[in-house]
Amino acid sequence: MVYTPYDFNEAVRHRAEYVEERLRSGSPVVGLSCRDGALLLSVRRSQRKIYEIYDRLMFSAIGHQGDIETFRIAAIDFCHQEGYQRSPDDVSAQRLVGFALSPPLKRAFGDTFTAPFVLRGIFAELGKTPEADAYYVLNYDGEFSVTYGYGAIAGSRYGEELMRTRLAALDGGSLTLQAALAQALRIWALGSRDEPEARGEDDEDGGRLLEGEEEFIDRTLREALAEGTVEAGILQRNTQRESKFRLLGVRELEPLLAPYRLPQR
Amino acid sequence: MFGTASGDFARLLQRSAAGFDFLARRSGLEERAGTRWEGEAWLPPRFAPSIPRFDPVPGPLTPPAPTVDVHGTTVIAVKYKGGVLNVGDRRATAAFAVMYDRAEKVLALDDYTLIAISGSYAKAIEVVRYLRHAFKYFERSQLQRMSLDGKLSELARVIAANVPNLMNGIGAFIPVLSTYDLDRNEGRIFFYDGMGARFETAEYGAAGSGAERIRGCFEYVLRTKGPFHEMSFDEALYEALLLLEIAAELDTATGGSYKHLPLAKFIDAEGIQDVPEEKLRETLQRIGAGPATVR
Repeated sequence: MVYTPYDFNEAVRHRAEYVEERLRSGSPVVGLSCRDGALLLSVRRSQRKIYEIYDRLMFSAIGHQGDIETFRIAAIDFCHQEGYQRSPDDVSAQRLVGFALSPPLKRAFGDTFTAPFVLRGIFAELGKTPEADAYYVLNYDGEFSVTYGYGAIAGSRYGEELMRTRLAALDGGSLTLQAALAQALRIWALGSRDEPEARGEDDEDGGRLLEGEEEFIDRTLREALAEGTVEAGILQRNTQRESKFRLLGVRELEPLLAPYRLPQR
Repeated sequence: MFGTASGDFARLLQRSAAGFDFLARRSGLEERAGTRWEGEAWLPPRFAPSIPRFDPVPGPLTPPAPTVDVHGTTVIAVKYKGGVLNVGDRRATAAFAVMYDRAEKVLALDDYTLIAISGSYAKAIEVVRYLRHAFKYFERSQLQRMSLDGKLSELARVIAANVPNLMNGIGAFIPVLSTYDLDRNEGRIFFYDGMGARFETAEYGAAGSGAERIRGCFEYVLRTKGPFHEMSFDEALYEALLLLEIAAELDTATGGSYKHLPLAKFIDAEGIQDVPEEKLRETLQRIGAGPATVR
């Protein structure tokens, strides 16, 4: 059998569709910087979702649990080797994502004889100021992009774009941790919003029942909190502790979640 | 498939010498394309450890002249009610020369573990770097904290791997490890011999040339003032700094506080913190030691 360029294009498209389909149901992740540090927030079911990678790096992803684990460990390995052989100062998200993770991910994606990685990951890197915090998004095909001060991943392109637009409009640097968490939580809900065309349900008269953005957020958070747990990790900018990373506790999160736990009006 | 599934940092370093190709191997790309993953270039094999457990930097072949090995001198760890306190002078010496007067010999390994080092400064700093990575690597990859016993064993292994240096008369170091045991809610102190044997002490630990001179002083304090672990923080700080001053007077290799403040850190249930500079100055004043004018 002859393997033509057409077959290659076709195969790659199928792989992309396969992966996108599996990513679609993933719980979005919001990255937002505030005065206190860099924040990643998501809602999870049973598995942990936000991980410490290195002194100034944390990671979260949507996708297959096994693939996420592969990349989490690979990232930790790379950072610790580099940090030990050279210096922790030489470990950066740019090196990690750009040189260590992206090329092999792209190669694995292009290798049509094996199953592709099902993964969309976000790396948050703590900088000196909120504006310098970098959020790298790494996609299953090895593509990556960086935004500063905020970042987002979601199962759909539309949801991801919507989250980014809202995040970009915020001035994270002026926010306290509590305020940033509240904003991040609401923007998280937007990650699962459908495109406008798919959104309006036709009622019997052929009219459209449109749900406003605020209503959508409230409803989504109510539903999500009934089944899942909010997980938020922070890399603290000014701390005496040896580890800058910590997961936020129930005490810090519960006040924010209480409004969405009340019975629906 | 992953050599590091155990969270063992030493194995990660070893494996990296053989080529770091976890993804290439996974997809079988390496064999097909006939290339190895570029990631390999991170770590030239010659820099990788050759001794199985620990030997990160094979040193150049130099004669063991006294001036090549800078030594840190006196470090003291004492318990107090609620935690552990570590103090250390700032001097590092080579034979009779004072090489450095801002040495930091009390270092955090993680949020609840302090290591106070004496002996070969080069080796000790290297070991601290190694242990920091080893402990954090375990915690980050395994998603649970390394147990206290695990940490103590790791430190013992590192010391044991250093025995050849000890035999050559260069590069020996002795640490004192302090931690806060969250299960027992108390501070704990461990010291080691040059072979890696570990001992837990009930009240205090000290290492370095000055420590030998003042060993009897510890016992005197215990008998006349009561056990350290029942002292308040302020009392313990006073005694520890006074002991350090005595060491500085009796031992040429130990620096006093006249020029630079001693290093002082403590661990309690909240984690590690520096003793505030003001508190140090004030306590030194009470002792009658001229507080440092320079930081």
